[in-house]
Amino acid sequence: MHKKHNILVIEDELELAKSTISSLSENGFLPFHAKDLKSARKLLKQEKFATVLLDLGLPDGDGISLIKEIKNTEIEIGLIIISAKDALEKKVQGLELGADDYLTKPFFFSELNARLKSVIRRLNLEDNRQLTINEITLFPEEMRTLIHGDIVELTGKEFGLLLYFFSNPNRVISKTTLGEFMSSSYADYGFTDDVVYTHIKNLKKKIIKSGGKDYIKNVYGVGYKFTVA
Amino acid sequence: MKLLTKTSLNFISASVIFFLLGSVAMYFSVRNIIAEDLQNRLLQQQKDYFFNADQNNPTNFSSKLVFVKITDKEIIDSFSDTVLIVNDSYILYRKLQFSYLKDKQYYNVSILKNQSQSDSLIKKIVIMNVGFAMLFFLIMFFVNRHSIKSALSVFYSTISKLEDFELSKLQTLSLETAEVQEIKKLNEVFEKMATQIYNDFEAQKEYTENVSHELQTPLAIISNKADELMQADNLSKEQMEQLALLLETTNRLSKINQTLIFLTKIDNRFYTQESCFSLNDLIKQKLQIFENAIQEKNLNLELDLLDITQIYMNPYLAETLIINLIKNAIIHNSNGGLLRIHLSNNIFSISNSGSPLSFPEKDIFKRFTRSENSKNNLGIGLSIVHRICELYTFKITYTYASVHQFKIIFKK
Repeated sequence: MHKKHNILVIEDELELAKSTISSLSENGFLPFHAKDLKSARKLLKQEKFATVLLDLGLPDGDGISLIKEIKNTEIEIGLIIISAKDALEKKVQGLELGADDYLTKPFFFSELNARLKSVIRRLNLEDNRQLTINEITLFPEEMRTLIHGDIVELTGKEFGLLLYFFSNPNRVISKTTLGEFMSSSYADYGFTDDVVYTHIKNLKKKIIKSGGKDYIKNVYGVGYKFTVA
Repeated sequence: MKLLTKTSLNFISASVIFFLLGSVAMYFSVRNIIAEDLQNRLLQQQKDYFFNADQNNPTNFSSKLVFVKITDKEIIDSFSDTVLIVNDSYILYRKLQFSYLKDKQYYNVSILKNQSQSDSLIKKIVIMNVGFAMLFFLIMFFVNRHSIKSALSVFYSTISKLEDFELSKLQTLSLETAEVQEIKKLNEVFEKMATQIYNDFEAQKEYTENVSHELQTPLAIISNKADELMQADNLSKEQMEQLALLLETTNRLSKINQTLIFLTKIDNRFYTQESCFSLNDLIKQKLQIFENAIQEKNLNLELDLLDITQIYMNPYLAETLIINLIKNAIIHNSNGGLLRIHLSNNIFSISNSGSPLSFPEKDIFKRFTRSENSKNNLGIGLSIVHRICELYTFKITYTYASVHQFKIIFKK
């Protein structure tokens, strides 16, 4: 990442905001915090943000009203709604108004990272359309993988997992988190542990076979970590 | 039977009975009165006869209708009916017979009076009365009918408005103002009730959302803190395992919470926006989501969508229904097993291979019932399916005969 992206976290629950902010800064973002709509509007005038994380239930009003304001500005700002309300109509309404994504509380940081990076990529806020970590290069739009410049055939799920790891380097990602990711993205409901294990095993094999390093480390059998020195 | 018909019928039957009895009674009383009058007139003529006969010859007064005969016997005064033939027609007369004694000579006198005139009088009176009564009843009937109808018009509008009333449409019940006290009161009560129900419904919805919000946020904090802790470098295996368990349990808790809120929403008739769509398309569309899972389990998919089935229900609930059933049939399937979806004649069935149930068959739709070897399942998917079917009164059955089969009969 060339420069740190400014992220605005609009969240009234202080503890949640704190951990979100620390997680964001650990992942190379520059987070700002607003606890209500009023301070959010003030910050939006002062700073340029790559993406806004918006909680809908705020003390001084419904966050829905802010979506239009953010999306109507000249500069393109990403917007992810984070809400405890799983109500379908809210989701639809939010996305129709221009939100880029919708996360339901509780969410996992790794999931947030992945979605955040995907939104930033989609909005072309990042110059390069490819992601590179050492010898591995990913082209998210074409779902193409290069290791040492050679194409590696990965299944959709393996590619999804690798992209997820790319968004969360050096982070312990628990099996639960990966299971949730798999079931929400690939309808792998109900038998997630085995599925995660199988796909990761295959992914590791393919990377090593193509001359890549063994980045995906098992952490005490409870999770995985994509270790980048 | 409509209220108006009912009251009209009552009115008509009461009128007819009263009318019949009244006419008969009137006929007889009028006849009596007239007969009495005739007799009185005959008696008056008798007095006149006595008066005249005293001064003149008693036989002098014979005429067309007075017959005087000389006899030696006295007779008792008596009335009787008699018929005379006048100009070839029979005419009914009332006759008074009496004896008159003058100079030791008895005269037998008969005075006749035409009865047919009084008969036609009776007829005229009766017909006139009956006619007036009929007219009266007819007018009463229509006036009554009209007034009941106009008084009930508000009542009928109330009924149709109540029929159309749907809480979820977020409308308030506004009824017409009625002139009739009782209907006015009824409308007031209905309006009050509707407002009360509406407020309760709103409060219920708000409560559901609040519970969701209030529980999900702390759960998010717990799970995020556990996630944060997991990133520390110096954790032992045991600590890491405990954190992972914490994360998993919190995730599970949140899922249970979300699902219960969803069930509550179904119970609260939250999903009432309905539309008509093809079940065939929905099944095909939802099967795509599971393409990978079906491939991975190497399932043998048999899809027989024989005829186009249109269903009318909430799209989100329909989607949930189909997804949950397909999901269930995949999760509990054996590797390389069978997945058969059949649709014809409004009957949808989904079958899958797999080992028999490890719990009683009757518990299959109960919440939190799950087989021993599926710890990742909440055991709530099928109870959601069951609840949705109940909501739309679709019949759902489960049978096991070498394969598990769920069958839903959609209403036509």
